Amino acid sequence: MRPLRNLPLPGDRYLAVALIAFAVGLPFLFETGSPFIDDAVLALAFVVMALGLNIIVGFAGLLDLGYVAFFAIGAYTMGWLGSNFFSGANGGEGFAALVGPPASELPGVHVNFLIVVLVAVAFTTIAGIAIGLPTLRLRGDYIAIVTLAFGEIIGRIAINGDQIRIGGVWDATVAKLPLIPELGDAGLTRGKQGITPVDKIDLPFLDPLTSLDLRSWYFVALALALIVLFVNIRLRDSRLGRAWVALREDEVAAASAGIPIVRTKLLAYGTGAAFGGVAGAFLGSYLNTVNADQFQFSFSIFVLAMVIIGGLGSIWGVVLGAVALSFVNTYLIPDVLNALPHDVGLDFDLTQLSYAIFGFLLVIVMVLRPEGLVPERRRRLEMHGVGAGDRAGAGTDVEIHEGSAP
Amino acid sequence: MIATEGVSKRFGGLVAVDGVDFALAEGAIASVIGPNGAGKTTLFNMLTGLYRPSAGRITFGAHDISRARPDRIMAMGIARTFQNIRLFPTMSALENVMIGQHSRMRAGLFGSILRPPWVGAEERRVREHARETLSYVGLSERLADRTAASLSYGDQRRVEIARALASDPSVLLLDEPTAGMNPRESEALSAFVHKLRDERRLTVLLIEHDMKVVMGISERITVLDHGVKIAEGAPEQVRRDPQVIEAYLGLGGGEGQG
Amino acid sequence: MLPAGLEAPLARLRALAPTGSRASALTLIALLLAMPVAFGVHDLSTTGSLTRLGNNLVDGLSNGAIWALVALGYTMVYGIIELINFAHGDVFMIGSLVAFALWGTLGLGLATVAPLLIAGLLVTLVVAAAASGSLNVMIERAGYRPLRDAPRLAPLITAVGFSFILQNVGLLWIGGSQQTVPDLIGSQDVLLALGGVEITNGDTLAILATAPLVLVLTVFIARTRLGKAMRATAQDPDAARLMGINVDTTISLTFLVGGLLAGAAGLIYALYQTTVWFFQGFTAGLIGFTAAVMGGIGNLQGAVLGGLVIGCIQQIADNRIGTEWTPAIVFGYLVLIMVVRPRGLLGEETRQAG
Repeated sequence: MRPLRNLPLPGDRYLAVALIAFAVGLPFLFETGSPFIDDAVLALAFVVMALGLNIIVGFAGLLDLGYVAFFAIGAYTMGWLGSNFFSGANGGEGFAALVGPPASELPGVHVNFLIVVLVAVAFTTIAGIAIGLPTLRLRGDYIAIVTLAFGEIIGRIAINGDQIRIGGVWDATVAKLPLIPELGDAGLTRGKQGITPVDKIDLPFLDPLTSLDLRSWYFVALALALIVLFVNIRLRDSRLGRAWVALREDEVAAASAGIPIVRTKLLAYGTGAAFGGVAGAFLGSYLNTVNADQFQFSFSIFVLAMVIIGGLGSIWGVVLGAVALSFVNTYLIPDVLNALPHDVGLDFDLTQLSYAIFGFLLVIVMVLRPEGLVPERRRRLEMHGVGAGDRAGAGTDVEIHEGSAP
Repeated sequence: MIATEGVSKRFGGLVAVDGVDFALAEGAIASVIGPNGAGKTTLFNMLTGLYRPSAGRITFGAHDISRARPDRIMAMGIARTFQNIRLFPTMSALENVMIGQHSRMRAGLFGSILRPPWVGAEERRVREHARETLSYVGLSERLADRTAASLSYGDQRRVEIARALASDPSVLLLDEPTAGMNPRESEALSAFVHKLRDERRLTVLLIEHDMKVVMGISERITVLDHGVKIAEGAPEQVRRDPQVIEAYLGLGGGEGQG
Repeated sequence: MLPAGLEAPLARLRALAPTGSRASALTLIALLLAMPVAFGVHDLSTTGSLTRLGNNLVDGLSNGAIWALVALGYTMVYGIIELINFAHGDVFMIGSLVAFALWGTLGLGLATVAPLLIAGLLVTLVVAAAASGSLNVMIERAGYRPLRDAPRLAPLITAVGFSFILQNVGLLWIGGSQQTVPDLIGSQDVLLALGGVEITNGDTLAILATAPLVLVLTVFIARTRLGKAMRATAQDPDAARLMGINVDTTISLTFLVGGLLAGAAGLIYALYQTTVWFFQGFTAGLIGFTAAVMGGIGNLQGAVLGGLVIGCIQQIADNRIGTEWTPAIVFGYLVLIMVVRPRGLLGEETRQAG
């Protein structure tokens, strides 16, 4: 059997550099407003999210079916801190922090994108931990259901958020602190109508991005994706990464080997959630809207599918899965294959079959190649019967029982 | 070092362990024996924090560990192996042993991401120490990077012991370490246990079914039957105890294999 | 007899012994009663009458009866192979659509005379149940059986995949918006009124149609050879196999029975709600699963109890807080159950370690 290595082969390094060079050069092959770059930007945002979910599901083995919650929180952070949603802020004058015109002169709260990202990370990390806490003692499929439930709850709050008037409470409490503006009368979200327009990303020393120059958006997205990729790779080959794998494979043995189970699980949830927040904040600005229709269960499954089809736990696999599925969704089905049913004599567009195609993909992959396109070496073994975690149809012989307080 | 006072464990209507007083002296090699269902592994699980006792107290030195978490107990210096070997199957032998040192490492989330020099040094040190521990338990060098699941049964046992040793514990709990071994291997293990105690100043507690090993290695034997302690003492004493003989009647006395 | 050591027999014994703490059961019951009691008190203090609450509960129980049927399918499947059949709700939805389509084919409409209507509905019941039942079995064969030895994640994902496929089928069949269906039984017509509390045709149908089905199921599971095989396989598939029970067939049978119930529920739902929607399965599925967990997964009585309780909570939420918030409230309860007492009110009945 080929010995496993912990350091990447020199060949891997060259491949990685080549891929990054390709990614940097790619947008120049297209017009700056081209739909291809639009698709590519979305794909990169999904890469960020898929890598985040990969930490939770792939590394730590915690089945999260509610990842959309973190996307939502990240997006709403952008919506709150980068639009005229809080039009009553500062008595109608608007509140701006480190942004230039035009945003700084408009009503509403307008905060620099980089700060928004930090706030989004903070919010989603807290949310991740909050969502993870109830799942700590549950077995795999129950974790799935609870996280799904949270995703739905957040989605519902998004839809009905207009009814939740937070302005008054905010003004009476948090706004009393120095530097914090008052919000006036304000709801939590604007439901399906959505928060729009959203400030364009405005980086230091550069002009704000525009909706015409997609290349700049691409590079911001690429930068985010590369940072997230770096973080993932570092985590995988670290003490924490090993702890996550141990946790996934045998929780009892992991605890007995000195791994603090609760902390390790919550770290997975928090870290994975943070990436969702980053992508959410970015997309809030890029898509110029934050509305409740964006936050549905199918989104969670879409990201999960990227992780699974790409290769659960495998970083490059997940990147590939994210890019592939994103392009299938935004390009292959609507643009290339859309007319296919008509060619066969059927009376509808392929886009109307998106759900079924997607579902079919999931079934096929799980039945034929559950380890995904680029399997993590461990997972290949796991999926075909060697050891590990929750087996369909088996129980565990010793469970951490009544005694290990979280 | 470790002591239990009146420790019991109930599962619903079943009493698995009933009012057991037990003490493990520092530097001793001791065994817990008893027929199947006697409560031995339940006792172990309580000592290592996997079960919380329904009644009674467990102390480790001056600390009360009755309700401590398993990872805390491990960090305090009590390590264990499992009856059905519980390695992390798709990790390499080396990685398994590195996990054993988790509680002795300090790299956290940001340390892992940013990898300042001290984290890199810690990783190298831990990896080296893992290699040394693997060779200490007699695992061939070339197997260190093999997936744990691909190793032979005997080698897996070695790796599991190495994982337990990796954190430099003061107490080692071995749950049926000779299960599945032939007499020669059992002898080698017995010698190894002595080596552990002599070279590393470990206190060792075993659950065992192989009477030759038990009698040969233990300085003190505790006998459980149906959750109750029925005898305790030096090997010769216990071997002649009528209650012990009766408890084992039907299993063929001398060399029962679990 | 057992080479594996103590954990396995102890865990089995643990499963037989009465489960856990009374405190968690009482907490859960208190949480479940919180809404009805709170609104009841509110009603009494404002209007002095419990009629509104009574109506809420009647509607809740009728809805709940339908959810009970769906929950039974979930709980039986989980009890036997420890899998959440994510597609179950959508199987229920297909049952509704099949029923609706069949009404058209049979020419059942508002003008149909009673005897023909009843005959037609009985035929529909059989066809819808059969359709859902066979669909469930096909899903099991195609998606779950090949993955028996895979980690739990695998069949769960396949289940989601099938759910999506079925939803797309529904979407193509009746379109994206809710579709009104003929009100064949005059669902909202008041049949009788007890002191202000109105019991409609729909309510009556839901209860009267569900009760016999649950009864038949209970007898089937308890008395027949196949039912016993299901119970044995649920407790210990290896032992069942040794006894000569064909475990694969028994599992398929479980899916069939679950599907039959879902199909029946689909028909009842269409008659009761007078609308069908391609997305109704998603919500029904989550509600049904919540009900199953609330009652104790694997536990048939629990599923029925859970269904009725959830139905009431849902109805109270709809009527008092607003339908847009109801899903959040129901899922909130799901989370609460998982936190407070994951084994549910009546305790789980699945296989234990072995």
